[in-house]
Amino acid sequence: MQVKRIVMGLTLGLVWIAGAGAAGFETRAASPAPELKAHDLTGASRTLADYRGKVVLLNFWATWCPPCQREMPSLERLRTKMAGRPLEIVAISSAETPDEVNAYLSKMKLGFPVLLDTDSSNTRRWKVFALPTTFVLDAQGRVRHVLTGPAEWDEGEALAVAESMLAELPAPVKQAK
Amino acid sequence: MRFFRVFLSGLWLCAFAAHAGMPDYQDFPASGQRLLLWVASERGRSEPELAAARQLAAQGMEVWSLDPANAYFLPQVPSSMDALPAQDLAAWLRAAQASGKQVVVFAVARAAVPVLRAAALLEAERRSRLCVVLMHPNLYTTAEPLDEPAYLDLGDLSGLRVRVLQPRRSAATPWLPGLLDHLARHGATVSDAILENLREGYWARETPTDFETAESRRMAAMLLNQLDTWGCK
Repeated sequence: MQVKRIVMGLTLGLVWIAGAGAAGFETRAASPAPELKAHDLTGASRTLADYRGKVVLLNFWATWCPPCQREMPSLERLRTKMAGRPLEIVAISSAETPDEVNAYLSKMKLGFPVLLDTDSSNTRRWKVFALPTTFVLDAQGRVRHVLTGPAEWDEGEALAVAESMLAELPAPVKQAK
Repeated sequence: MRFFRVFLSGLWLCAFAAHAGMPDYQDFPASGQRLLLWVASERGRSEPELAAARQLAAQGMEVWSLDPANAYFLPQVPSSMDALPAQDLAAWLRAAQASGKQVVVFAVARAAVPVLRAAALLEAERRSRLCVVLMHPNLYTTAEPLDEPAYLDLGDLSGLRVRVLQPRRSAATPWLPGLLDHLARHGATVSDAILENLREGYWARETPTDFETAESRRMAAMLLNQLDTWGCK
């Protein structure tokens, strides 16, 4: 009886520890993503169609937001890790001016596209109420996972989510020599 | 066993004392004709808030400072504010108005909820004499990505004048129009002001910017300026 209690206690403890380490992704039934209409820092307009055929991590963030700043290096590491694979990381700055974003990027070099949502229309269309919020879209542009709050993107649950989405894609066809 | 019974009785008495009548608050007396009821957020009262209260009192505005989570022995989380007895706060508002001074309530974050619910319990004539300033209020019941936000039912706020102060650097700023609409639908007369270059709770941030540090020192001046601009009398 005593042994049974100890085993149960240890099991519950392990479950608790595992839960505490989870990033907290929410899996959604595949649904069409809201429209994305934004500009990049060169002024070029961007929509989700630009990334069709790839898994997309769409990250709503702001330069003033400490958790957003904390996760940016791990998003950059994920980009490096996934180089050559059909995954696009897209950061969209919520309700900030180009000057604010450029000032941040002069100190923090990022190799993935950063879009502007100066009038916050995308923030409102995607119903983003906290920063950071990240949407994981499949190659058909459907929302599959949502994470409110930061993650270490190049490890653990976040990496597993990205890998699981990539695993759904058909294997690349090898060119005949 | 006997010890346990005495302990439980003591606990019950403490709980009763904490929930009966008006909440415990800190008074910063002043001889002027305005009385500010400062309701700290669910995170508790910070030193810059006390400093601001002292500065306001020195300038003639009396301040009654309430730290609701501390006064009711509640955890420092938003849901604690929803559990506050609105009747107690309504009694507190009535006591403030009985002083004969012009009463302004200043509530931070989720503390807006019990303040508005208390205002809804007031008689219409009393409510129409009250001015309420809400600093980045959180009135959501749910706010989930990809879904429309849902707001709390606050009761009848007709005749109540409400001014919302919203720091620009906040995820809530794009949603300010919806929040103002919600207050207006409950009958409040609403206005708002955006506080530029500031984040929510800027006076209690772990890593404040230089500007936030400077602004937290002049919170009293900011509030007086807002009240004068607003003109709620």
